[in-house]
Amino acid sequence: MTSGDTQWPRYQVFHQEGPHRPHVNSGTVHAADPEMALQNARDVFVRRPDCVSLWVARAADIQSLTAEELESAGVPEPTDGSLGTYQVFLKKSQVGSHEHAGSVQATSAAGALAAATDEFEKEDVLVWWVVPEALMVRTEPDEIDSLFHPAAGKLYRHPAFYHTVTLMRRLREAEGENK
Amino acid sequence: MTENGRLAEFEARIRRGEKIEPGDWMPEDYRRQLIRMISQHAHSEIMGMLPEGTWIARAPNLRRKMVLLAKVQDEAGHGQYLYHAAETLGATREEMIEALLSGKAKYSQVFNYPSLSWADMGVIGWFVDGAAILNQTMLARCSYGPYSRAMVRISAEESFHMKQGKEQVILLSQGTAAQVAMVQDAVNRWWWPSMMMFGPHDQESPNSPVLIKWAIKTRTNDELRQDFVNQIAPEVMELGLTLPDPDLHIEKATGNWIHGPIDWDEFWRVVRGDGPCNAERMAARRKAHDDGLWVRQALEAYARREAGVAAA
Ligand SMILES: [Fe+2]
Ligand SMILES: [Fe+2]
Repeated sequence: MTSGDTQWPRYQVFHQEGPHRPHVNSGTVHAADPEMALQNARDVFVRRPDCVSLWVARAADIQSLTAEELESAGVPEPTDGSLGTYQVFLKKSQVGSHEHAGSVQATSAAGALAAATDEFEKEDVLVWWVVPEALMVRTEPDEIDSLFHPAAGKLYRHPAFYHTVTLMRRLREAEGENK
Repeated sequence: MTENGRLAEFEARIRRGEKIEPGDWMPEDYRRQLIRMISQHAHSEIMGMLPEGTWIARAPNLRRKMVLLAKVQDEAGHGQYLYHAAETLGATREEMIEALLSGKAKYSQVFNYPSLSWADMGVIGWFVDGAAILNQTMLARCSYGPYSRAMVRISAEESFHMKQGKEQVILLSQGTAAQVAMVQDAVNRWWWPSMMMFGPHDQESPNSPVLIKWAIKTRTNDELRQDFVNQIAPEVMELGLTLPDPDLHIEKATGNWIHGPIDWDEFWRVVRGDGPCNAERMAARRKAHDDGLWVRQALEAYARREAGVAAA
């Protein structure tokens, strides 16, 4: 047995359920490169339809700030660097996941967090995430069919495919007639 | 803030029903208990593929084969979601896989029983996945955000697992004499291992009080087990099948189905590694890991080459 060969970088995965819906965080996968991260993300998180696009970014490239951290330590201090675009994801409800909210321009991740806390309403945000646009990898429109279409034909992956309630009812009815 | 002040604030958050997120302050014991539970849960999903995996090539028709393949594939996915949740607490994938492969980590005892006939595929789906759903629906309300989100996602898929199994048990129970005998035999073998899945009785379960106080669990082992019996027992009987428990009866006052004593010696024997299939399951898992080495190496070589090309 070899160890040391199971720990590839973690990628956060975001999936989009429909064309006009925001990308929502699904969880992470490990992969040697972003291409494989997208492939793994499809297999791990999208075995059923309702997905039109996937984004991945290395977990290490995401800066996070929780409401608790904001309250105890305040808004992060921006540092110098070159101006770039950061995608912003917010977790707004206790049970929900992080959802894509828009983007900000900043010279550092800390600056992006500061800009995000400024731009998006603080009151109902529980966690802020910022990701440098340059480090996000996305599925291409021409891959959508091959990645997501096969799941659409697999109705047997859904509980509604199995008529257990009807079967039990018919059995009870037959039982009743026999009495 | 002092350590005690932080603990008080943390417990107040739990009482308000808030979810704790990575980055938030949490007691070290909360983190430890969660890593233990989530990684065991992840290992169970992965090991859970084995009893059913052996029947994929022997499925009686193409429909059943596709269904079983899809179910086993889901279990692999569940393992992945759960390893992810544990990683948000600082556990590494490497540590967890290593603990599983070395035999240090535990996984659900139920997967150390053999699947002897095709009817086992029905009964495992109905009983084992049915028991898992009760546990996971409870864990979906867990105070730790990433675990609760993984559970919401998993529970939706488990419902397919349970129903495909139950459908098979219903059909077999109404089939030929040989089919009825086969499904009754499977019910007899899987009933007690499924009952044991909920773990020791509450008074024997040392971790329960702290898990409930911090809303990692919101219901006890015995409460969940009672729901399970109440759900399954009457329907099994409606199918004309029996459960291997001579003491099973309905309690007039509560409407609860009361079960007979559970063989805890057997439970601990299997948990400690001496069940009917522990050695076989571990060998299969290690072999799969070793056989996959060249794939991991190839993927890594490809990634390195692509990175080299990009840099050049
Ligand atoms: Fe599962
Ligand atoms: Fe399952």
